[in-house]
Amino acid sequence: MIFETFKIAIQSLFANKLRTLLSMLGIIIGVAAVIAVVSIASGSQAQITSQISDLGSNLINISPGISSGAGGQISRTSADIFTLDLGKHIEENSPNVKRVVPTSSANGLLIKSNNNYRATIVGTEADYQVINKYYPAKGIFFSHYDVDNSTEVIVLGTDLVEELFPDSEPLGQSVKFNINSSTQVFRVIGVMEDKARGLIGDLNSQAYIPITTFMNKVSNSNYVSNFVAQAVSSENATMALYEIEYLLDRYISEEDEYNIFSQDQLLDTINSVTNTLKLMLIGIAGISLLVGGIGIMNIMLVSVTERTREIGIRKALGAKKSNILFQFIMEALALSSVGGIIGIFLGGLASYSISQIGGWPFVMSTLTVLIAFTFSLFVGMFFGIYPAYRASKLNPVDALSYE
Amino acid sequence: MINIKDIAKTYQNGEIEVQALKGVSFEIEEGEMVSIMGPSGSGKSTLMNILGCLDTATSGYYSLNDQDISQASEKELAYIRNKEVGFVFQQFNLLGRKTVLSNVEVPLIYSGAKKKKRIKRAEDLLVKVGLGHRMKHYPNEISGGQKQRVAIARALANNPSLVLADEPTGNLDTNTGEEIMDLFQQLNDQGHTIILVTHEHNIAAYAERTIELIDGRIQRDVVA
Ligand SMILES: Nc1ncnc2c1ncn2[C@@H]1O[C@H](COP(=O)(O)OP(=O)(O)OP(=O)(O)O)[C@@H](O)[C@H]1O
Ligand SMILES: [Mg+2]
Repeated sequence: MIFETFKIAIQSLFANKLRTLLSMLGIIIGVAAVIAVVSIASGSQAQITSQISDLGSNLINISPGISSGAGGQISRTSADIFTLDLGKHIEENSPNVKRVVPTSSANGLLIKSNNNYRATIVGTEADYQVINKYYPAKGIFFSHYDVDNSTEVIVLGTDLVEELFPDSEPLGQSVKFNINSSTQVFRVIGVMEDKARGLIGDLNSQAYIPITTFMNKVSNSNYVSNFVAQAVSSENATMALYEIEYLLDRYISEEDEYNIFSQDQLLDTINSVTNTLKLMLIGIAGISLLVGGIGIMNIMLVSVTERTREIGIRKALGAKKSNILFQFIMEALALSSVGGIIGIFLGGLASYSISQIGGWPFVMSTLTVLIAFTFSLFVGMFFGIYPAYRASKLNPVDALSYE
Repeated sequence: MINIKDIAKTYQNGEIEVQALKGVSFEIEEGEMVSIMGPSGSGKSTLMNILGCLDTATSGYYSLNDQDISQASEKELAYIRNKEVGFVFQQFNLLGRKTVLSNVEVPLIYSGAKKKKRIKRAEDLLVKVGLGHRMKHYPNEISGGQKQRVAIARALANNPSLVLADEPTGNLDTNTGEEIMDLFQQLNDQGHTIILVTHEHNIAAYAERTIELIDGRIQRDVVA
């Protein structure tokens, strides 16, 4: 009996192919949109996450806080404490910290004969390259010797080389750096590798000099702008963070006068942002699925009206209310399940193509597919039931005399 | 077999009230063949629809095979339409997208018969009404007389005791009409109770009893 009614439903769908296709279109587009949106969002999120992990999930950033109410001025208490010795102190006294690299930066004009370029110059330690997994493509990075002896060497980002040395070899040449109307001369010893413009800014237009040289010649100060600490492993990053906080709290009397965060925390923040974005997109896709459902309801209502005579005949021949109801629900279910399957395929295809273009991994979870499919069935059922209910309620005479 | 008392039917269309039946009473015994006559609008179809459980009376009592129809539930009515009554319409009312054979199968599907048994029964009936050679055809591929034979075969599917026919020859020429009437005659001889509506006296003459309706009331009820 159930099988017979199911067959009747399928046959009537086949009897009117165009109508069937049109009503299926809404579900197809809705499901495809949900699948594609989730897949694209997950893929690009995975890409962003891996970019950040590339930076090293075991890194901890420490910078002086801004004193509240002092017009944005850097708080004296904490900035005054950020000496090279503090970095050494953390490195030596915190068991979960492998190394601490200080950095300071300043903006100024890099000059080579007639070419000049506004650049950020960064003073740091030799281990900077190890921590950031960022190495010179040509020449060398400066060494501990350079830092200890405060030598006047510089490593340039690729963009700077293009600007300053359009058609000559930069290695071994000298460049001038102009800041606060004083000029320093450096010898180029290396050119960094090309780094895609990422979340941490444009590395290609930075230049690097030993931190000691920076403090003596550029900033004329005993303090650095921040430290990057590397934990022994990413699992120990949180422990390392607590240790550093403990040490700093003993140096800095007032609380909250420094900022400390790990890459993990950054990752969490970014993930929560992309998750919110993903949810919003899924919401939009869900609405399109709903609109598809309304399309099904429309078509079902039309088909009930069109087929009122048939319903009358069937009822006159002994069809129960439940037989008619079931026939129409089956039609709606068949429509939405076939539409759902086509939608899954199209959605998968679309997100695969887009992931190829965007260059992120193609992610399609079974859960998403399952949810989208179940949802399309529910939509089909929900919007199929009302017209079916109306059809099943008709009095046989009224249905038969329907023109 | 049929017992109706004071059956009335009032149609209400907004402000306008139409009294199609104004108190009709009669009894019909098992195995009778009865014709119902009367001018257009006298309430013949209305009465037939009530007898066939396609519609319900506004008031009055109706019992079929000792079951009180006025009290029957929706589900019981569907069962009666399926098993106890066969209805033949003036406009044939075949399902156009189905073959002749599938049309005859429909009542058998709703009575829950198995596919093999269904096909066998439908084939037998079609042979019986003289359409053994047209089973795979669609309704638009056969003549009016043939359509009405299919409709009769379909009405007989679950071997109902009562066969109702509302102007079964109304859309057919005289010769074809007489052929259809011969078929009804045969069914009556085999024991089916038959009630049919007609305008034509020579058709009514097939039945031994004629009930005449005028303006929603019985004018005459005569046995020839
Ligand atoms: N659905 C309806 N709504 C309102 N009035 C109706 C309806 N059906 C029938 N009537 C009215 O009821 C009366 C009886 O109609 P019915 O169809 O029973 O007549 P009939 O005897 O079968 O006529 P005919 O010989 O033309 O078929 C008529 O006046 C008709 O207009
Ligand atoms: Mg009539």
